[in-house]
Amino acid sequence: MKIFLSGGAKNGKSALAQELAVRLAAGGKRYYVATMIPVDEEDRLRIRRHVADREGLGFETLEQGRDLPACLELADPAAAFLLDSLTALMMNEMFHDGQVDREAGERCIRDLTAFLNTVENAVVVSDSIYSDAGRYDEITELYRRALAALDCAAAELCDTAAELTAGQITIYKGELPQ
Amino acid sequence: MILIIGGAYQGKRAFARETFSLTEDDIFTCTDRGIDFGCRCVDRLEEYVFACVQDGIDPLAVFEADHAAWADSILICRDISCGVVPLSAQERAWRNETGRLCQYLAARADRVSRLFCGLEQRLK
Repeated sequence: MKIFLSGGAKNGKSALAQELAVRLAAGGKRYYVATMIPVDEEDRLRIRRHVADREGLGFETLEQGRDLPACLELADPAAAFLLDSLTALMMNEMFHDGQVDREAGERCIRDLTAFLNTVENAVVVSDSIYSDAGRYDEITELYRRALAALDCAAAELCDTAAELTAGQITIYKGELPQ
Repeated sequence: MILIIGGAYQGKRAFARETFSLTEDDIFTCTDRGIDFGCRCVDRLEEYVFACVQDGIDPLAVFEADHAAWADSILICRDISCGVVPLSAQERAWRNETGRLCQYLAARADRVSRLFCGLEQRLK
């Protein structure tokens, strides 16, 4: 089973995603696909918090800030994968080496499709950043549009799609594993 | 009237096309204060509101003044209600007026759909 989770920041997505991934693993192997590439102390603190949060849950961490399918080279596709998050993945793919990569959006969709078509169980996390009244520059809109297209692809490819609001779950498609 | 709302790039227009068998020719896309209600569907209402705010016009009053024009329309508007209160007065007014218009339209709509990552949530 594959589950897509999104919602605003600090609404409980990561905690629920971990719980669901553990359920999907059913006692078997589970991987945490870590997408954040830390650039400063704030990032490192955030990562330490996330690592502490999943301590004892039995995840093996796969560091994969770019080129998502590469994480499957050494992983067991029958395991449960927690991919957190599409937001960071798109950021890393689109902006690196001081450049804007305009092909990143299409590439991320191809990579995510290949990833989800290979694994049996996955929880994919993203962020809803689409309902504010900002009028952004062209580059920011490029990123928002690309991430939204990736979210839509994830929601379509997954069996279940849900939104988290203050820890509460709204299901748009499918159901959650018991 | 049918109202479709949702954040940016959430698949509102594609949903309208598919659900109501519209072609691109059936959809009018707002870029300023001009709206062609001759089209079955009007998209980017938030841009219409933005133009109204720029020109000092009350968009809600315009809709109130001519119910018949949009009574059978499919209307699409971006939800811009979340996020930090905008620093610029114009963007604050834009957000406020868009919210007022959406409430007004939703109250009068036969159906209100919210799109999330390409998926519909039926609000009414």
